[in-house]
Amino acid sequence: MREATQSELDTIRSEVRAWLEANWNPAWRNQAVDGPNRITWLTRVVEARWAAPRWPVEWFGRGWDDARGRVVESEFARVGAFGTGQDRTNLWSNTVLTFGTKTLKEQLIGGLLRGEINMCLLYSEAGAGSDLAGVRTRAEKSGDEWVVNGQKVWTSRAKIADYGMLIARTNWDVPKHKGLSFFFLPMKQAGVEIRPLRQITNESEFNEVFLTDARAPAANLLSREGDGWRVLVTALAYERSVMGESARGPRSGAAVERKQGEAEFVALAREADRLDQPEMRQRIAQVTALRRLNDLNSARAKAEIAQGSSSSIMSLGKLAMSRILHEEARLRTDLLGAQSLLEGPDHPRAEDANFLSLNAYFTSIGGGTDQIQQNIISERVLGLPKEPEVDRDVPFREVRGG
Amino acid sequence: MGRLSTEELTSLEDSLARLLRDQSPMTAVRASMETEDSFSQELWQQLAAMGITGLLIDEEYGGSGAGPVTMERVMEQVGATLMCGPLLASAVLAAGVISGSGDHAAEARLLPAIAGGDSIATVLLTGPKGTWTEEGVALTAAPQGNRWTVSGEAHYVLHAANANCWLAVARTDQGLALFELDRKAQGISCNRQRSFDHTLRIDQITLDAVPGKAIGTPGCGWQAVEQGLNQALVALAGEQAGGARRMLEITVEYAKLRYQFGRPIGSYQAIKHMAADLIIESESAVSAARKAAAELDARSSDYPGWISLAAFACADAFNRVAADGIQMHGGIAFTWEHPAHLYLRRARAGVQLFGNSTYHRENYVRALGG
Repeated sequence: MREATQSELDTIRSEVRAWLEANWNPAWRNQAVDGPNRITWLTRVVEARWAAPRWPVEWFGRGWDDARGRVVESEFARVGAFGTGQDRTNLWSNTVLTFGTKTLKEQLIGGLLRGEINMCLLYSEAGAGSDLAGVRTRAEKSGDEWVVNGQKVWTSRAKIADYGMLIARTNWDVPKHKGLSFFFLPMKQAGVEIRPLRQITNESEFNEVFLTDARAPAANLLSREGDGWRVLVTALAYERSVMGESARGPRSGAAVERKQGEAEFVALAREADRLDQPEMRQRIAQVTALRRLNDLNSARAKAEIAQGSSSSIMSLGKLAMSRILHEEARLRTDLLGAQSLLEGPDHPRAEDANFLSLNAYFTSIGGGTDQIQQNIISERVLGLPKEPEVDRDVPFREVRGG
Repeated sequence: MGRLSTEELTSLEDSLARLLRDQSPMTAVRASMETEDSFSQELWQQLAAMGITGLLIDEEYGGSGAGPVTMERVMEQVGATLMCGPLLASAVLAAGVISGSGDHAAEARLLPAIAGGDSIATVLLTGPKGTWTEEGVALTAAPQGNRWTVSGEAHYVLHAANANCWLAVARTDQGLALFELDRKAQGISCNRQRSFDHTLRIDQITLDAVPGKAIGTPGCGWQAVEQGLNQALVALAGEQAGGARRMLEITVEYAKLRYQFGRPIGSYQAIKHMAADLIIESESAVSAARKAAAELDARSSDYPGWISLAAFACADAFNRVAADGIQMHGGIAFTWEHPAHLYLRRARAGVQLFGNSTYHRENYVRALGG
């Protein structure tokens, strides 16, 4: 579409601003993930066509370009409203829009944008973690349905999900990337059994999902049979683009008393009476620097992208964040010393240091381990050659698993 | 001229890249490091003609006033090519100290020639301690009639033998003060030191009652030095960021070409994982140096903290990339002919100049409120 003039962008800005003034209630600010008014608000946003302005008019959008879409997003951000920019960030609806059948689009896109439909991911398996193309869950055609058998893991929100985005093997006689297909599997059915996993943090946000003759209608196959890897790669790219900035902080809720302009670790060190220890001072500088440097890198990447050039720095963020989280947790622990032997609500600092030490693995393993991330950076950013894969051109039936 | 637009900056960067490609290839760097001066007069004159020596000097004193943001970008290329010369000593540190003195007569007398490259200036700052702090100053000055004489030792002086303008930081009864020394006077002993970074010229100077002209108000000498040091730290950070980036490029290119066990060593994860870690280091260094330059330029309220951050982040990044880069190369980088050790030598020099990383981390913690 034609590039917008400044005055057109200004018109859009005032239109969005006026609409928000008439419709947005600031009290809903923290209801983006869940909250009593979430769906009501999202429904309004979808009806006003602000949810996905870059999408075609046919699918709740306005057919706008990125510059126009950004204006809408910046106005929403200004008042703390959520629900726009889903054309960029809503993994589920973007995947359906790009690869779904017409039936599936009609059935799901509106509900996904309005937040009425809950989703989960059925990707990883016990035997297919980093090597996701090695999944062994099978889907077989039976009449106008697919019958699915296998076992998935690391599925969050499985219990409330209406559908799971499923990668399954539909052909065992071709190499591993070529025999995969991608489905929207209905979760509320007899063939789906969900068991929560107890994590090292003593929390249970992830589940194992057992699929026994679970059924998916033919219309729920995305793209074509055998094209699942391509769909998955696209979906993963959406997921990575919103990951990395979402790491959790301390969970105790205990505030740290900070003087004006004081860095968090300075406050923690003062509280622990270790601010005068030269070694701790050095480490506070080092650890605070890591996070600041990553912020500077992200800001530079965003500026480069805004100027229309691609940025390779963007892809460094997840690996850098994993280092930051581990280093920060290590410093929190060392500032506490023996107190870190304890946990629980009576020992909030220890609780946080210990939780963060363990939860750092969420980022350094989840969504691709640091080592896989290093492979990706070295290949895609630095252009180093791929390592030969012994199973790449072998029919999957003959590939060794375990 | 003043601050450059994005287009002007890009155009300056392009011209400089062409100049350095033609005049400062690795063969020229090696030739420079073998000479007495450690740099090429011809290249120096061309840099001056391009305005590089006047970037940090105000227009009223013959410079362009382009400022630290532009100088930082220039230094990225200096680091990438290992260009030799007194740019940091003269056009950055000495020019900054003179401007920082607020002595308009001295600025008018000294800065135009520095901006034009006709004069090379250097600062006699630290003593044998080598700390680049007030405590490190080992020169003393005493009034003699309406003049001053300066005595004592100055160490780690950059390009002193090449410089015609010597600025001494010395202790007086009224506190630290700045002096322009009479370069031709009796009582000067200037000894060239063997520098581990062969592209760097370092001298040790002993002064015995050498006449000096006071610049600025005695007692306010350290303020002037701080302005010079801030500029120097930002410029050095840029040089290190540029050096780190280039060393990584050289290493990655080699890893694609070098075959062992029938495939490029760059296809092994042992090499890939090191390379991925190093690009985070080098890109963070670029971000840190550019941020420090922007904050210094804006004189923001927290610019000292950003400079401290850049000082240790860039020094450490360059050091790590150069060191790991040698390891990733293997035997070829253990040879004198390979440029890798030249990068490591410059990286190691940069960790010490103007205060080491431990010192800058301590300053950073203070800036964070600690």
